[in-house]
Amino acid sequence: MVAAHALTVDDMREVRAAAQGGRFFALFDPNALIAAIARSGDRAAFAELFDHFAPRVKGLLMRGGASAELAEEIAQETLLAVWRKAALFDPTRASASTWIATIARNLRIDIARRETRSRLSQVYEILDEEPPEQPDATLSGAERDARVRAAMTQLSADQYRVVELAFLEGFSHQDVASRLAIPLGTVKSRLRLALSHLRGRLEDLR
Amino acid sequence: MSAVHRPSDETLAAFVAGQLDEGLALVVACHVEADPASRQRLRDLQAVQGALLDAADPVAMASGPRDVRAAGQGSRSPASAPSAPEAGMPQVLRPYGLGPWRSIGIKVAMRRVVVPDAEARVFMLRAGPGIALPHHKHSGLEWATILSGAYEHEYGRYAAGDFDEADSSHVHTPRVDPVEGCTCIVAMTGNVLFQGWLGRLLQPLVRL
Repeated sequence: MVAAHALTVDDMREVRAAAQGGRFFALFDPNALIAAIARSGDRAAFAELFDHFAPRVKGLLMRGGASAELAEEIAQETLLAVWRKAALFDPTRASASTWIATIARNLRIDIARRETRSRLSQVYEILDEEPPEQPDATLSGAERDARVRAAMTQLSADQYRVVELAFLEGFSHQDVASRLAIPLGTVKSRLRLALSHLRGRLEDLR
Repeated sequence: MSAVHRPSDETLAAFVAGQLDEGLALVVACHVEADPASRQRLRDLQAVQGALLDAADPVAMASGPRDVRAAGQGSRSPASAPSAPEAGMPQVLRPYGLGPWRSIGIKVAMRRVVVPDAEARVFMLRAGPGIALPHHKHSGLEWATILSGAYEHEYGRYAAGDFDEADSSHVHTPRVDPVEGCTCIVAMTGNVLFQGWLGRLLQPLVRL
């Protein structure tokens, strides 16, 4: 990661060009790409971010039951918002993935509830402006993400599935229960266990 | 200010995922704004969302990136331009209209929080010191965040910043703090909302 920060986007492009034809795994560093967009409106950096994140946002939304058209629209809007807000991205507060997932969530609410004058995405934005408390006790965005990921790998397959479904749009606990053909009580207890496991792992380390 | 009573993990996860009714979500947001520990958990759960995004199976986009040259950069969307917050009110209420305080009984007043199209009804309730609120029960959810003062019922004492997550299985006999009184923001769902003490107070004023 340290080495990746030292590479500029141009360097990365050169490396990629040099590696053309061979199998090459580009060092994908979204923080550097977002910084390049903020600094100089770097459209190549934007294209790279788009290629990585737009299909994932679309995939995640479709998994949550959104139509391909709606998921595509939200993915487009999400990446456009990343372009617009690049200067507001603070890697000490959240990883790029987490930041982008949050933007996608807000846009999903705006777009899905367009007809209903929902102001919920503004509420989320106001909360995100709140400074994190106890700076010394607060993990950086990257650290927090790494720990959350590590903790998630320790979930059982059943727990992971429940967490995944619980975080997708439109799935109430009842929906999750029908989808997995398990009782509502089981969904709730699995989710509670999984979340308390995640919480325990994070608090141990904090 | 640090809360004693907080939303369950499941409630906070549903909040983060954007699944809660807007009225219920707003009351959760009032708590999160006031409580550093819940803000921390909120960020953890947002990181779960980020991890799920990374793990998502990509689905090819039908079209490439839009032309961003015209999009402009660096400014917040005008939608989030805040109106001036009323002094002492949670910041998260900025996007919402607030009705006037209306007296609904001796030392009890309420004001509406206008959340268009939310399933839950949202309002603030202010009760003077020492008010004993009659026993009540409700059919849906009744979530409250204490904004100032405190009340106490069978499940403990709820002071500024605390979140009270009650469903129809709870039966309350709240007693308002004898010195400070209590102001809270409440969201209620359910078909037979206005029963019991609140019903008697609110029924003449609130038309469903």
